[in-house]
Amino acid sequence: MTHLELTHIHKSFGASVAVEDFNLTVKQGEFVSFLGPSGCGKTTTLRMVAGFELPTSGNVTLNGKDLTYVPPNKRNVGMVFQSYALFPNMTVAQNVGYGLKIAGKSKNEIEERVREMLSLIQMDKFYSRYPYQLSGGQQQRVALARALAIQPELLLLDEPLSALDAKIRFELRQEIRRIQQKLGITTIYVTHDQEEALSLSDRIVVMSQGKIEQVGNPFEIYNFPQTRFVAKFVGSLNTVTATVVDPAKGIASFDGINLEIAQGLNGKNKGEEVTIAIRPERFNFLAEQRKENVFDCTIENITFLGSVVRVQMKIGNSIFNMDTFNRPSLKLPNIGGKEQVTCSNKAVLVLAG
Amino acid sequence: MDEIMSRKRTSFFTIFWGILALLYFFLPIYGTLDFSLRMERGILGFKAYKIIFADPRFWEGFRYSVTMAVITIIVSAAIFVPTIYWMYLKVPQARPIMEIITILPFVIPGIILVFGLIRTFSRPPLQLTTSTFKTDILMIAGYVIISMPYMFRAVDVGMRSIDVRTLTEAAQSLGSNWFHVLADVIIPNLRLAILGGSLICFATVMGELILADFLVRPALGPYMVRLGLTKAYEPAALAIISYSLTWFSLGLLQFFSSRSERQKQQVITT
Ligand SMILES: Nc1ncnc2c1ncn2[C@@H]1O[C@H](COP(=O)(O)OP(=O)(O)OP(=O)(O)O)[C@@H](O)[C@H]1O
Ligand SMILES: [Mg+2]
Repeated sequence: MTHLELTHIHKSFGASVAVEDFNLTVKQGEFVSFLGPSGCGKTTTLRMVAGFELPTSGNVTLNGKDLTYVPPNKRNVGMVFQSYALFPNMTVAQNVGYGLKIAGKSKNEIEERVREMLSLIQMDKFYSRYPYQLSGGQQQRVALARALAIQPELLLLDEPLSALDAKIRFELRQEIRRIQQKLGITTIYVTHDQEEALSLSDRIVVMSQGKIEQVGNPFEIYNFPQTRFVAKFVGSLNTVTATVVDPAKGIASFDGINLEIAQGLNGKNKGEEVTIAIRPERFNFLAEQRKENVFDCTIENITFLGSVVRVQMKIGNSIFNMDTFNRPSLKLPNIGGKEQVTCSNKAVLVLAG
Repeated sequence: MDEIMSRKRTSFFTIFWGILALLYFFLPIYGTLDFSLRMERGILGFKAYKIIFADPRFWEGFRYSVTMAVITIIVSAAIFVPTIYWMYLKVPQARPIMEIITILPFVIPGIILVFGLIRTFSRPPLQLTTSTFKTDILMIAGYVIISMPYMFRAVDVGMRSIDVRTLTEAAQSLGSNWFHVLADVIIPNLRLAILGGSLICFATVMGELILADFLVRPALGPYMVRLGLTKAYEPAALAIISYSLTWFSLGLLQFFSSRSERQKQQVITT
């Protein structure tokens, strides 16, 4: 069931284009993340959904109702900001109850709902504190409760965890997901942190320079990136430009080295250039196990990353990363030494752009 | 060793200059106070004060000026708070311009303002000098302009201390309209700034002379001057009264700001 729909959204600030032809449908209860680097238009898109910016063209519909020109205070959309934005002059309870007070609810009703919200975020004890008496994490919880208290049809979060330290970020992330699922509220979550997006979302919208690069669930985004940008931004894919050698058999070459691709190269012509990608964890040393593609390489660098060892190697003239588990039996090569590595033909992805 | 020496020296000079400044500031006031108490030969007494407090023209001037000051404060707060709020929200780049405009009353002498007002508003289409009520409106308008530099700066500083834009958006997303955003979120967080601006506004209007003199209204300023022309001790007493009034205002400001601090402290401990 379509709940929120963005159609052909376009936004320019003067001559500069912030968002271009943005199309998205979000289902009731879905958790969708906007993921992308700084300045790619995530916030601008979110603000158009909230009503703080007007799209230059295009429409925002919620539950079949056109919201494009509805002012933000008439949208019934909850918003959580990176800077918390709690009202400094109000206690925690007054902050959480503010939206209800504006809606003209009775004192008893407000009181009851505020208690309910505070217990939802496990902050009952902070009822009469002021915002400056709370830690950042606590403030953001209250901000979440405040946004949810009005029972909005949509919850929008703009990098809500960016100002917090790593441990709190992790905890609060789980908390947001738990509450979102409990209430079944449709949510849009803006972040530039791929781990956050991958771990929280039902679907991820990867954006770059105002445009959607790819929409998919975390599994698809991580394992089957469609563009070079997604491949680079999510995870740490190796990408290289290759030339099609035999479209039917799925063979391409780069730096004079042939490469077998299981998914094939249908629709491509011989001699055409394609971008291919291989995840670092899909390589292994030939000595361990033989797979379809075998490459000669020179070891450039070795980095220990805890449970994983990252080997940087040169195949032909291109640099690739290989991740391998850090187990005691692992025999690491010397830097500068010649080695042979291998990867499955299924590990080779063909990207659209 | 050298460091200790130099630190000692600075602290000595700090105290020295501090005392000098205090003397510079308080000696004249002390002199005035002393003089004001010596109306009767040979004894210290409040005779000059008694004369002033017994003078109906003083009370008339006092009442008039207080009324004008209060109305001025209300009008200028009503003008400046929403205007500065709007500026912060929509046209932050206009701030330097606003700063220049609001400092003009410092640069342009009061007398020019008065003549400008009289020349413009003593003839049609907007003739405001025909009745005392209309003249009072003109007075208020003039006072608002004179106190504009203080009000603007006070509110500006307060506005800068909060995240106007995000707070506004947060309130809007919770259903607030403009009026509620201002009344529930912006103004409560500017309370101290507005209070500070108001008190300076109050002191300015209470001591204002030129406007009231030329528009011939019974304010405290002209009364003070007229008294000074014919009397010796009473003006000194009046000066002390007006100092006390100013300090009382500052004391109030201090009281309110420290009280709101204390309130915050109390909540922490509970
Ligand atoms: N009010 C504005 N006026 C002019 N340009 C703007 C305005 N708001 C955003 N932009 C521009 O639009 C583009 C997208 O900005 P946006 O804030 O949406 O990026 P973002 O993806 O949220 O980035 P970040 O991760 O840094 O928050 C940027 O190039 C930005 O400079
Ligand atoms: Mg942003």
